[in-house]
Amino acid sequence: MSCPRCDHDTTATLAESPVPGVWQVLQCQRCLYTWRTTEPARRTQRDAYPAEFRMTQADIDNAPEVPSIPPLRRSGGAG
Amino acid sequence: MPHDDLRSFLDVLDAAGQLLRISDEVAPEPDLGAAANAVARLGENAPALYFDNVTGFTDARIALNVHGSWANHALALDLPADTAVKEQVAEFIRRWETFPVPPERRADPGWARNTRTGGEVDVFEVLPLFRLNDGDGGFYIDKAVVVSRDPDEPDNFDKQNVGVYRIEVKGRAKLGLQPVPMHDIALHLRKAEENGADLPVAIAVGNDPIISIVGGTPLAYDQSEYEMAGALRGAPAPIATAPLTGFDVPWGAEVVLEGVIEGRRREIEGPFGEFTGHYSGGRNMTVVRVDRISFRDRPVFESLYLGMPWTEIDYLIGPATCVPIYQQLKADFPEVRAVNAMYTHGLLAVIATGKRYGGFAKAVGMRALTIPHGLGYCKVIIVVDEDVDPFNLPQVMWALSTKVNPAGDVLNLPNLSVLELDPGSQPPGISNKLIIDATTPVEPDARGHYSQPVTDLPEAAAWIDRLRRLLAARAG
Repeated sequence: MSCPRCDHDTTATLAESPVPGVWQVLQCQRCLYTWRTTEPARRTQRDAYPAEFRMTQADIDNAPEVPSIPPLRRSGGAG
Repeated sequence: MPHDDLRSFLDVLDAAGQLLRISDEVAPEPDLGAAANAVARLGENAPALYFDNVTGFTDARIALNVHGSWANHALALDLPADTAVKEQVAEFIRRWETFPVPPERRADPGWARNTRTGGEVDVFEVLPLFRLNDGDGGFYIDKAVVVSRDPDEPDNFDKQNVGVYRIEVKGRAKLGLQPVPMHDIALHLRKAEENGADLPVAIAVGNDPIISIVGGTPLAYDQSEYEMAGALRGAPAPIATAPLTGFDVPWGAEVVLEGVIEGRRREIEGPFGEFTGHYSGGRNMTVVRVDRISFRDRPVFESLYLGMPWTEIDYLIGPATCVPIYQQLKADFPEVRAVNAMYTHGLLAVIATGKRYGGFAKAVGMRALTIPHGLGYCKVIIVVDEDVDPFNLPQVMWALSTKVNPAGDVLNLPNLSVLELDPGSQPPGISNKLIIDATTPVEPDARGHYSQPVTDLPEAAAWIDRLRRLLAARAG
């Protein structure tokens, strides 16, 4: 099953329902979108997933860093 | 009597008719998010919700909307449920004055009874996680307090931070955490990352109601949230030592997650429907590795719905935002009478102040921009006269409509800092800020024609009493 959000084809199973066989929690291994298999189609099926929330590899690559990673402090003190 | 944990407060809400227990089976999605969304639309006396029959789970207990009305906020402060908003803020201010109240270290916290470490760690095993809003990238822990310490001064209790930050569950032992750059945890993280180190954190889920309030209160960097919790409770806050990090965590917490924010690592996170009423967008955010989970028997998962205001978060952080801004302004300007910063965590604030001389109100407005919270919020400041109640929006609108001449009363200040979640900021984190001086000009500012205000007649106060008596007699 492909990712509803980014259409990537690799998912991992994060959790299974404590009552066996009711649902699974899946996660896309590219955009990390996470969903439960029993959620409405607008959250679980690619063709029903809203356009405004879709994500691409470019979106991931260009996502801002929050917070930005600071420069390393120089080791060693002043003489 | 102060509440020592979430469970005892749920009982208080129950006794006051402010907790709705829903025992019918509900779906984790969309029911839990939709119910919490809906309860926020029921108005200012809406109840908390408690679910314990959720499809697919065998042992789920979920509390929502615990702070989500003025009645519940009053009960959290141990006040009568019908306490007026302005009076709740006034009482908050009175208790704030008793800061600091040292915490009480207690033994045998309930969360020490069950432990998972290393490869056993599975957040999904302990917490019945679910999605809140359609566009959320995953399942969130959004009402926990995150405890961290200043890496340069790890033994400094006052600089230990206790704050609520959004947390996305991204794996059985992996979380994404949002340290907004203006918040204290971001200062801790920056120091750790400058040293190439991880930042240890302890995350307490499901807390007594005052801990949740102080976790969302913008205190000064070296003010202890636990000492403020003691002030707001009127009794020392009970704390205990987390076993892995050694950090101080709430004694009454339902679940404690411990681990580290992995230094110098970012990974795609979100979006998440935020307190701004807008989604955050996807960002590359910090990653937490969870190394240990401690939890009470039959833990209760507390979560919070947020969306277009007002929702629970607006009650939770409303007074908690007004009071520190008021205190910090008053420290410099004793003329400041009241602050209403309940709108989107203080992105907009209304300040009532007396005036020393012409131009003074604008100075008060500018000071609000430069207090610590103002650096990330306080985008729109409305300054009103001391006889205008900033919590009375019709009065504020009167001041705006009659005291403002845009020719001299509107200051548009370019390119200042704001939290990057502000959807209007461009680029994210940068915004103009606006000060509207809606006070009456005083000497030497002689603009306008304000010398003949219509004031209530001297006899009106007595007539108010008389009319009330007459109405009461008629009703009787």
